[in-house]
Amino acid sequence: MTREFHPLVKRVLDGELALGDLPLELRPECEEALRLLAALDRTPLTLSPALDARVMATVRHRAASPATGRESFRAGRVWRWMSAPRQVEIRLRVRPWAVGALAAAAVLAALVLGRPSAPPVGGGAVAAFGSTRAGVLVRFVLYAPGAHRVAIAGTFNQWDREATPLAPAGASGVWTTTLALPPGQHQYAFVVDGDRWVPDPAAPAVDDGFGRRNSLVAVPGARTL
Amino acid sequence: MGRAETASDGDVVRAVLAGDVEQFAVLVRRYRDRYARYAAHMLGSVDAAEDAIQDALIRAFDQLRQCREPDRFAGWFFLILRNRCFAERRRGSREPRPLEDAQEVAATSLDGPDGAVERIERRRALERALLVLTPEQREVFVLKHVEGLPYDEIAQRTGATVASLKMRMHRAYDRLRDELEEHR
Repeated sequence: MTREFHPLVKRVLDGELALGDLPLELRPECEEALRLLAALDRTPLTLSPALDARVMATVRHRAASPATGRESFRAGRVWRWMSAPRQVEIRLRVRPWAVGALAAAAVLAALVLGRPSAPPVGGGAVAAFGSTRAGVLVRFVLYAPGAHRVAIAGTFNQWDREATPLAPAGASGVWTTTLALPPGQHQYAFVVDGDRWVPDPAAPAVDDGFGRRNSLVAVPGARTL
Repeated sequence: MGRAETASDGDVVRAVLAGDVEQFAVLVRRYRDRYARYAAHMLGSVDAAEDAIQDALIRAFDQLRQCREPDRFAGWFFLILRNRCFAERRRGSREPRPLEDAQEVAATSLDGPDGAVERIERRRALERALLVLTPEQREVFVLKHVEGLPYDEIAQRTGATVASLKMRMHRAYDRLRDELEEHR
């Protein structure tokens, strides 16, 4: 049978009461419990100096190896290159299926615009509809009436919540932006008013491993457009 | 001290993401020992803790693009390490054993023999008893009584409510008492 500590003793262990607050008959039990805690090893621990070298060797190897899908730093370079101001020649090479995707996005936008009783945030859409030398053009749409600012943050801009604002479409509550993204899979979320993370309701989502949902867009290779 | 060593976590993360991979060494130096004691108590050995910290740092590098708030790298890294520790305990891939007593030997010679052996025995018994707790119970016990964190901070770090943390802790107290009685 389990011998339980008295609830008041547990409160002393939790730091909510002092030993002197307890009735006399509970003090021996509490002193036993406090001796138990006093035996804990709280010495700071220093790991082997070789740990740093092992981690950095692996990190360098991963950074240098192509096609691992883990090249955080390369994505940063790509994004900086893409977002640097320059004249971009947009060459839309429309294919029949891309027309369909564009039409679907337009329909969705029309549905969203024509829905005055929509919830405060919703109706997102993503549609690939063209390509540039920098990547595939992807349009992001969020219906967020009442929002003062909407931005998009994701793996393509190092989750910078300020870097990529969406523009409002008049007073309709619809916010949009179009980005040139490199082929591959990108995770993202909208940031409403600077601090509210909103996944795209129209896109598939993945768990980020820490209890939050990231939206997912898979950008096909530019040559397929 | 170099400028990199005083840079904020956010600046270092952004530098790594921008392509300066060597800057990741700053984060390695900063976090290699910070959570080592936590990992050692969670996994029951210093060797296992070192493996876990190494894996967590490499995973942090792999997933750095997913770190939404680079200025809060510490909390993000802690969650990676925590997941790693829980996964290992659940896998049961390594037989947990009480922490080694290299530091205790040093403590004995410094403190003199009076009571030192008894303290070491008590400590060993407690470390053994900690191994029977569930990972969740052990975590809250370690964060509160080894790391000295208040319940609200543990709640922030782990995502659990203060009420559920207290319930885990109180069960842990009873289980430890039981275990120590049994082996007395």
